[in-house]
This record gives sequence, structure tokens and C-alpha cells, in this order.
Amino acid sequence: MPLRIKVRNAESGATVEMELEGENTIDDIIEGAAGYWEKDAGAYVLRRGRRLLRGQQTVAEAGILNNDELELIPDPEGG
Amino acid sequence: MSALIKVGAIDDDRFDRSRRIGWLDMERIQSARCFVAGAGALGNEVIKNLVLSGVKSIMLVDMDYVVRSNLNRCVFFREEDASRKSMKTDIIAKRVKELNSEIRITPINSRIEEIDLGCLKDYDVVFGCFDNIGARLHLNAHAYYYGVPYIDGGTDGITGKIQVVLPPDTPCLQCATNKTHMKILEKRFSCTGADISIYEPKIPAEITTTSIIAAIQVREGLKIISGKKENCIRHVCYYNGLLNTFDSFEVSLDPMCPVHLSSYFKSF
Repeated sequence: MPLRIKVRNAESGATVEMELEGENTIDDIIEGAAGYWEKDAGAYVLRRGRRLLRGQQTVAEAGILNNDELELIPDPEGG
Repeated sequence: MSALIKVGAIDDDRFDRSRRIGWLDMERIQSARCFVAGAGALGNEVIKNLVLSGVKSIMLVDMDYVVRSNLNRCVFFREEDASRKSMKTDIIAKRVKELNSEIRITPINSRIEEIDLGCLKDYDVVFGCFDNIGARLHLNAHAYYYGVPYIDGGTDGITGKIQVVLPPDTPCLQCATNKTHMKILEKRFSCTGADISIYEPKIPAEITTTSIIAAIQVREGLKIISGKKENCIRHVCYYNGLLNTFDSFEVSLDPMCPVHLSSYFKSF
């Protein structure tokens, strides 16, 4: 059964709802949210609570639950 | 016999005020060896903070020369350095002596990928001050392999991050990567047939964010040197300069991470 989650844009505070299957990956969520907000081609990470989620993990492996709120954070590359 | 004190002697000691901070181990700090990779904005600030904190022995690696657009955020660079296209590492090694004449900086003018990183095992802390993910992952892998703490900094405009990697206990930079990082790597080294072209995006940067991130990098380094690893960031900290907020997050160790696998096999 599909899950419904909310992804928050750390830069703007905007949110988007997303419907997921258990086999979807964190990479899929990042790609979907970054694409929705037409983000620059930079690096992003996704957090759930106080934990950053690994890209290759599936939604099921990451323990994501229905109605969870995740946050998309830009990962700064400059120095 | 009573002790003899000299009036005003307290102010003759360069590190008197540092010694008053209980957890700073000034003896260890003054005998520590630090490796700094990247002599741009973060590198300038990290070196400045290390030297003012009492570190005396530093290796500094960078392949680049000074350009005028560095001058909004690099404390050691001057207009004449940009005119002469002076190498960044040479300029820092020279100017840092104005802060403390006892400093020994070894400048290496090279890409990080082109030097033998076996030397890392002789250092107490490694600081990553790069402007690209490829160099970060390269140094992260070598520091982890040699069991040396690695403190990475990154900035983009008014946001920044610091990641502390303490081998063999914590996850590493590679563990926290995903497809978006790999896409940047692919874009940076795009093969055009006969050649490999390197794409170098111009990332927004200014001094206030740079100095905050570099200051935290050095503070975490001083904790490690002073035997306070348990007080370090666990594992990554993001800074939002617009809101002035810091958020620390844990990263889970990736069981398939090539960095951890190579360190594991090294033990046999």
C-alpha cells in the first residue's frame, strides 16, 4: 500500500506531498523534490528527524512511515 | 622560600588567555601536526585559526594561484598576489609568519590526487577545505584508511556545513553521499571523447559564512587534539546564515561504503 509523506524545502519552507511505494529509494525522493522545486543542479541531502538518509536505502529500509515529514537540505560544495 | 613572580609576566605569554580555557590542552596543541587541503577561503581561515590557536606544524596543499575574485574572503591574500599570480600555498606560508614567527608550514603546490597521501599517518588532524566533491571524497578515503580524523567544511553563499569523521568509529563522507553528489562528479569530469573536460562552477561565497564554518572546523580539531573527541559534532552540522541556525544530524554507516570496506580488509 502506498505511503503519503511530506517533503519540506529547507531553503524556502515550502512543502510538497509525495506518494511512495516501499521499494522507492531516498534518491528517488530527492530527485522528485529537487525536480519539483526546479532546484539548481547541486547536491542535496534528505533528513528524517535528526538523521540523514542514505541515497540507496529504500523507503522501507529507511523506516519511513505514512505522514512522515522529511526535509530537503542543500549540501554546500564550495570552499 | 616564597615564589618569585614578575609583575606583568602574564601578558608576556602569547597563550595565557588560551590556557585559561580548561579543556584546551595547549601542550598537545602546540606539538600537533595538521594537514590542510585547500588554500582558498576556508583554507585561509582554517590556517589563521590554527596558528592563532597555537598549532605550529602544518602541511598545506593547493594547486591554484591567487586571483582578484579571492580578495573578498581570503585574509592572507593581497592585490599584488593576484597581479603576480602567486601560488596560494606559498603566499600563506609566507604571510602566516607575521602572525607567529615559529610556525612551520610546508606548502605543496599540487592537486590532492597527485600527492602520496601515505604521509597522512604522521598527522593528528586533516582539514578538508575544498571547492569540489571529488577532492573531498579522495582525501576522506585516505584519511579514513590511515585512521586520521578528518574535518570537512563546505559553503555555498550563506549556508555551510561541517562533517567530522573519526575512524574507525564514525561514518565517513562517502556514507553520506547520494545520486546528486555523483551527478556533480560526473558533470565535473565529463568525457568529451579525446579529452576529459573539468567543469568548475562558480559557487557564491563571502567571508562571514566562511569564517563561521572554518572556525567550527578548527574548534572540532582542537577538541580532537585536546582529547575531547566525545564532544565533537555527531556527525554533520548544517549552518543556515539567513536564520543563524545550526542543526546537527547523524549519518548511518553504509555497510557497502568502499571506504569502510577497504579499511576493514586492511586489518587482515
